[in-house]
Amino acid sequence: MAALLEVDGLTKAFGGLVAVSNMSLAVSPGEVLGLIGPNGSGKTTLLNLIAGTLRCDAGTIRIDGEDVTRLPNHLRVRRRINRTFQLVRMPPNLPAIVGVMAGVMYGAEPKPYKEAEYEAAGILGELNLLLKAGHRLDQLTYIEQKRVELARALATKPRVLLLDEWLSGLSPGELEGGMSVVWSLAAQGLAVILVEHVMTAVRALCSRVVVMNAGLRIAEGPADKVLRDAEVIRAYLGDDDAGGS
Amino acid sequence: MTAGSTIAVVALAVLVAVLAAVPWLVSDYGLGFMVNLMCYLVLTIAWALFSGTTRYVSLATAAFFGIGAYAVAMLVKELPLYACFGVALVVGTLMASLVGLVTLRVSGMFFVVFGFGLSELMREVLIWWEINQTKTLGRYVFVPFDTTLIYWHLLGLAVLVFLVGWLLRRSRLGIALLVIGDDETMARQAGINVPLAKVVMFIVSSVFMTIVGAIMAPRFGYLTPNFVFNPLISFQVVIMALLGGMQRLWGPVLGIVPLILLSELLQVRAPFWYSVILGLIFMVIVYFLPRGVTGLVEDAWETLRRPISLPRGVTGPAIDVWAWLSQPISLPRGIAGFIEDVWARLIRRQPSGGR
Repeated sequence: MAALLEVDGLTKAFGGLVAVSNMSLAVSPGEVLGLIGPNGSGKTTLLNLIAGTLRCDAGTIRIDGEDVTRLPNHLRVRRRINRTFQLVRMPPNLPAIVGVMAGVMYGAEPKPYKEAEYEAAGILGELNLLLKAGHRLDQLTYIEQKRVELARALATKPRVLLLDEWLSGLSPGELEGGMSVVWSLAAQGLAVILVEHVMTAVRALCSRVVVMNAGLRIAEGPADKVLRDAEVIRAYLGDDDAGGS
Repeated sequence: MTAGSTIAVVALAVLVAVLAAVPWLVSDYGLGFMVNLMCYLVLTIAWALFSGTTRYVSLATAAFFGIGAYAVAMLVKELPLYACFGVALVVGTLMASLVGLVTLRVSGMFFVVFGFGLSELMREVLIWWEINQTKTLGRYVFVPFDTTLIYWHLLGLAVLVFLVGWLLRRSRLGIALLVIGDDETMARQAGINVPLAKVVMFIVSSVFMTIVGAIMAPRFGYLTPNFVFNPLISFQVVIMALLGGMQRLWGPVLGIVPLILLSELLQVRAPFWYSVILGLIFMVIVYFLPRGVTGLVEDAWETLRRPISLPRGVTGPAIDVWAWLSQPISLPRGIAGFIEDVWARLIRRQPSGGR
């Protein structure tokens, strides 16, 4: 299947530190691409570049063949790229549903207020959050916050979804629920990039995995094969463990 | 429309009718007071429309009020009054667009300072212009536009600003502003064009302020740049809005009425004390009333609606005493106990090393 999101030669430096260096990747509809690597390897920066939270120094980002490299954040949302943040970002003083409604009203298929209210309630309902629609962010549990943020992202009708450690810090039961959500989104034809440290989830969900270290791509391939790769083990655990496991 | 909202609309219509009849009901002094009240009502609600939702504190109120008033003062001899209002509207819109585009990219403190600087700059530039180019300082506005007409125009504007605020709450722009006020990064990620939403609302808010200035010009009769670009206007508006509280559209009203009464009482006889009290009120709001008077009203309403817990009668204290008596008594530990505590603390203070 043709790739939906194509990233080519993406580079970003903060002063002298090159956080992302010449990264290329492609994701097709219905595919979950794992993006792994040690802390500080540039995974989140790469997501920021693709979503438009940050501007890249060089490289191109295409969605469905259209070049979106120069578009600001909110216009990329309307070109159907959306994301969740590593630390949940939702309006802290507003009812949860308002943030989701904003997504519906300003997303790829904008709706007026009343319809947006129904639709936002529907999206929250699908994520088992309908009863929490009127709650403020601090009245929700951690997993509920993560799900509300996902609801906001889905409200804009994305075709490319970037999940930044969306499955981290969950209990085993919650993890299973979260994984089935990601699975069903991919089954609906979304192209998903999953930045994750939870290897169970990466193994179960991702057909392909890209490994980053120090801003560079150091490995790419089927999840099982890549995770066994000695180079990856070295990046994560240091040279001593590279021979074992 | 539900029964509740029908009643609300009827009640509001009656309220507006009563307010419209005020010129026949009160003395000239009373009408002057009501004009002042309406003037600040529109300014404050317009201020809250922008600053209350986006949380960008604007001190540019005096700048736009002044532009409106001074535009009328400069043109009133050449043009009919309504044409002057039209020019004020255009100038105010252009100025607000310019200021909005330039400043709304800067955030927080810088925006506050810029707004304040803007009205000071306008004042100084106009003073320079008047002294060096027109060789006058101060202008007369003598037009057949009496206090009653001024009052009605301001009342109309007040109705309009409330209408805008009410429509805004359930509009696309309103939702965008709410979200921007809470989390700008998230707003962008929801697809909102953040700078555009802010500039549009800033323009709407500023245009209301400009028109208030224009309508008030005939009321003053004689005005100077120092008088209409008075920073006190900006500060009063902020304090009124904060005192009232901005979670509700009508919130600022609860701040405007007491402060206008206070200024009527003090501003003529003891203007110095008015500034002092204004400052004190500001501090009280910041420390004790972060949600304004509206917050107090809402809390009181909540308390009233809560079911009353039945008094426990004489049995209550008796049970409490019994519960206290039946607790094991902890004996005082004396000086030894004190030393023990100090020792325990000293030991805990020991550096644990290599954390």
